[in-house]
Amino acid sequence: MLKLVDLTKVYRTEEVETTALNQVNIHIKQGEFVAIMGPSGCGKSSLLNIVGMLDNPSSGQYWFGDEDVAGYGERKLADIRKKNIGFIFQSFNLIDELTVFENVELALLYHDIPARERKERVKEALAKVNIAHRESHLPQQLSGGQQQRVAIARAVVSRPRMLLADEPTGNLDSANGEEVMNMLTELNGEGTTIVMVTHSMPHAQYARRIINLFDGQVVAENLRAA
Amino acid sequence: MFANYLTVALRMLVKHKLYSAITVAGLALGLAAAILIGLFVHNELTYDRDVTDVDRIQQVLVTATLPGRAPEDGASLPMPVGPALKQAFPQVADVARVAAQTSSLKRDETLFSEPAAVADASFFRLFDWPFLAGARATALDDPNSVVLTRKTAAKYFGDADPLGRTLLVDGHLLRVTGVVRDLPPNTQFAFALLLPMDSPANQLPDYLREHWGGLIAMTFLKLKPGADADAIQAGLPAFGAAIPPIRSNTGEVHLGDVFKFFLVPLTEAHLHPVRNAMVEGTSPLEIGIFTAVAVLVLAIACINFMNLATARASLRAREVALRKVVGASRGQIMVQFLGESILLTTLSLILAVALVEMLLPSFTTFLGKPSLAFDYLRDGRVLGCLAALVLVVGGVGGLYPAVFLSAFQPGPVLKGNSGGSGAGGRLRVVLVVLQFAISISLMVATGVVYGQLAYAQGRALGFNKEDVVILTDLYGPDVRKAETLRDALRQDPRIVAASLAQSYPGSGTENNTGVHRPGATVDDGVVLRQDAVDFDYFAALGVPLLAGRVFDRRSAADTLSPADPAHPEKMRHGGLILNRAAVQRLGYPTPEAAVGQLLILPSNLGSAGIEMTVVGVVEDFHQASVHTAVAPQIFFVAPSPSDGQLLIRVKAGEMPGALDLIDRTWRQMMPDRPVPRVFLDAQLQSVYEREIKTGQLFAAFSGLAIVIAALGLFGLASFTAERRTKEIGLRKVLGAGVTDIVRLLVWQFSKPVLVANLIAWPIAWVAMRHWLDGFADRVSLNPLLFVASGLSALMVAWATVGLHAARVAATKPVVALRYE
Ligand SMILES: Nc1ncnc2c1ncn2[C@@H]1O[C@H](COP(=O)(O)OP(=O)(O)O)[C@@H](O)[C@H]1O
Ligand SMILES: [Mg+2]
Repeated sequence: MLKLVDLTKVYRTEEVETTALNQVNIHIKQGEFVAIMGPSGCGKSSLLNIVGMLDNPSSGQYWFGDEDVAGYGERKLADIRKKNIGFIFQSFNLIDELTVFENVELALLYHDIPARERKERVKEALAKVNIAHRESHLPQQLSGGQQQRVAIARAVVSRPRMLLADEPTGNLDSANGEEVMNMLTELNGEGTTIVMVTHSMPHAQYARRIINLFDGQVVAENLRAA
Repeated sequence: MFANYLTVALRMLVKHKLYSAITVAGLALGLAAAILIGLFVHNELTYDRDVTDVDRIQQVLVTATLPGRAPEDGASLPMPVGPALKQAFPQVADVARVAAQTSSLKRDETLFSEPAAVADASFFRLFDWPFLAGARATALDDPNSVVLTRKTAAKYFGDADPLGRTLLVDGHLLRVTGVVRDLPPNTQFAFALLLPMDSPANQLPDYLREHWGGLIAMTFLKLKPGADADAIQAGLPAFGAAIPPIRSNTGEVHLGDVFKFFLVPLTEAHLHPVRNAMVEGTSPLEIGIFTAVAVLVLAIACINFMNLATARASLRAREVALRKVVGASRGQIMVQFLGESILLTTLSLILAVALVEMLLPSFTTFLGKPSLAFDYLRDGRVLGCLAALVLVVGGVGGLYPAVFLSAFQPGPVLKGNSGGSGAGGRLRVVLVVLQFAISISLMVATGVVYGQLAYAQGRALGFNKEDVVILTDLYGPDVRKAETLRDALRQDPRIVAASLAQSYPGSGTENNTGVHRPGATVDDGVVLRQDAVDFDYFAALGVPLLAGRVFDRRSAADTLSPADPAHPEKMRHGGLILNRAAVQRLGYPTPEAAVGQLLILPSNLGSAGIEMTVVGVVEDFHQASVHTAVAPQIFFVAPSPSDGQLLIRVKAGEMPGALDLIDRTWRQMMPDRPVPRVFLDAQLQSVYEREIKTGQLFAAFSGLAIVIAALGLFGLASFTAERRTKEIGLRKVLGAGVTDIVRLLVWQFSKPVLVANLIAWPIAWVAMRHWLDGFADRVSLNPLLFVASGLSALMVAWATVGLHAARVAATKPVVALRYE
């Protein structure tokens, strides 16, 4: 599904130059569930942002299907992104002014889907994460676990082929974290490719493969027995 | 405590440069506009206050109602009115008349034309302006005396003491008996020199000095202490009725029916625009409009301040919360924020004062009041007004933000809840709508004012104003010489036509007469404007003929036969030309039908009337401003007029040579008088000058309003773009493209502008309908103008917002989500 070849990301600010990713080579196949682990600041989020096409690498290749998207501009990336990739964030990133329903619907607004079908798909996604009864609430009226469920519904409602999750359980207690992991596993079972950043070893165990990053480099990959 | 507030306030200013710059710039522009308008309005409201016992002085004005014409207010009264009022009303302590004329003065063999006035000796008793030299009480006692303004004295005598020196005025040697200080910018008098009423240089024809029918002199009454002006006012109808009727063979004209006199306090006279004033008055409506514009411009600036302050409230939430945690009361916090807004306003005021200083010279030149001053350093009252302005503007602008910000609860804010970045959003939208409604209304108003002006000036005046030179104000013997001059000029190929006439379009003087058909009485007659002209008059003005013919030199019957004092009972005869309006007024079905008809003009000498034969009809043309409809009028050829103007049409392209010829010929014939030469188009221009200026002023201030509103929108848009960065990033992550985002933001700011249109349009429609009602001849309100104003406002909004939108939309989404 995607292949990173000698991928490097360097951040330049006025004072310093940080190499967040250094010659990274990763291959992820369709339908995989991959966990990325490593200490804070090792480049996990940078990697996920590039894989998610929210940012461009400084050098190297990023093969998505049979296209090298490394040098693509924002317009082209946005197009590929919206057809293929869903996101889940540590801090949920729901829009405060919109209701649960509207937050989820937002992911379909830019897809040319008629209103009626939109409504059905949002309801379906909300039902899937067990939050349908709260569809007209505002995000701030929900608990963290509930908010993350809404975020998951928003990520899957557009039926992406790949789901990227940056510490999805980082802000949740263990019970809620467990629940989120079960949902991701279920989605993976249905065929969605999942790449997840996590600090939690138990949660990483849900994945089929774990990639360890240290200082911008892949230091270990271990495949878990199925 | 205070030091701490000040530090925080100043740091906020410096830290948020864009916001501070926008707020201060907007307020400074608004304040500068308000100060300039304030100076103008104050000047207009304080005319002729610097006179002792000013509240006892009344000006007498007259409403002249000619049958078939709209009533018109005027400042010029028949000469006998003043003295007669003093006789009739014991409450009148003193009366003074003053009439304007143009005099020629000689200095070292060079002649100059100067605005002059003739006045009763009592004039300086009522208007006790400080004299720089001479005795005010006796300055006008001697017929051969002349009083100069300081500037005139300097022009003719330099540094020398002018007192007792002689000056040649209109060919008469006069002695300078006084020098009065220059006239202030707020007086309704305009003259360079003042002559006694019985001066040999008084140009008023003798018969008019005792005539009840001519509108000649401005007349002022000084009442006895404690006397009631209303009592005199109540007696004025009876006074008018008692004026001896003017006799003619067919009846008597009661001037009391035609002239209605009324009193206006001297201090309010300027606010009562009338015909024939020395200085044109300003209507309270106009002053009201400008005051409103000042308030509106300031309001827009205040709204900017309120919007930006509340929009950025979340930035201050933490500070407010912390202050409350350490013990500050809500009141203390409000005081802090109010103080900040006053500080900001003060900074803006300093900038505004500098701006006013810069603009004042051009502003006063533009207004034609170069001595208008902005004396904030020496005049405590001005300083007081400025301080009040700061308090009001700072208070109004700062109060809502202070209430809003001081309401934050420390708990939620410190827990990390932003404390309502969205709160106050609705009010902000309402205020933006208000700003744009004001801006759009002002734009529409400017458009209508300009449209009307362009229409008034561009519309067919009915004659050709180009290439016409006029030698003005010829009296007595000058007229005889002008006739010779005319005949000499006619020989030259560069001159198309030359004609003497009683008046010219835009000159502001007019005569009227009763006219009736033979067999009818005066009571069945109509009043028409009459102009004594000569043969080439219509050729000189280029007025088209509709029927019959124009006056013919070779036809002796065309000229009015002279009066025969020996046989007053003998009927006089002459030819007559009507304009189209007169044909209608007299009831003839067509211009052709009027030709050949007889009409009787009653004579006022107790003699038989004048029987006139209509020889032709000409098209209507505007003698006065196009504010008034064309008056029905007649033209005839007078045998030997006593006063007049010489109208000269020059062949196109031959002006320089023709002017040289005119000037040379004039100097040969009348070396004692500077050539009183004007151009017709320039004269007409001055008729509309005031309106043009009002229009320009209005346009400038409404343009400013839009600039300030746009400034505010720019600030708000940049803030919103900033605040919504995260949301926009998220939308992009979810698939929104650049265009989606730009559309989102632009739409957010277009909505208020669209709503503003809905508010502005009806208001502007009603207001401008009302304004246009003041014109006899007016443009219709064009809906396109409303749409165009709305579109321009939208464009301004798009331009200001689009910039931010494009920037935000092009940013990579990761930037927005980084700090999570
Ligand atoms: N936009 C940026 N500008 C500059 N430096 C950045 C930026 N984003 C991340 N970094 C730096 O790059 C390194 C990797 O960061 P990140 O990918 O966020 O690590 P992680 O998610 O593993 O904690 C860190 O040193 C971080 O400070
Ligand atoms: Mg991270």
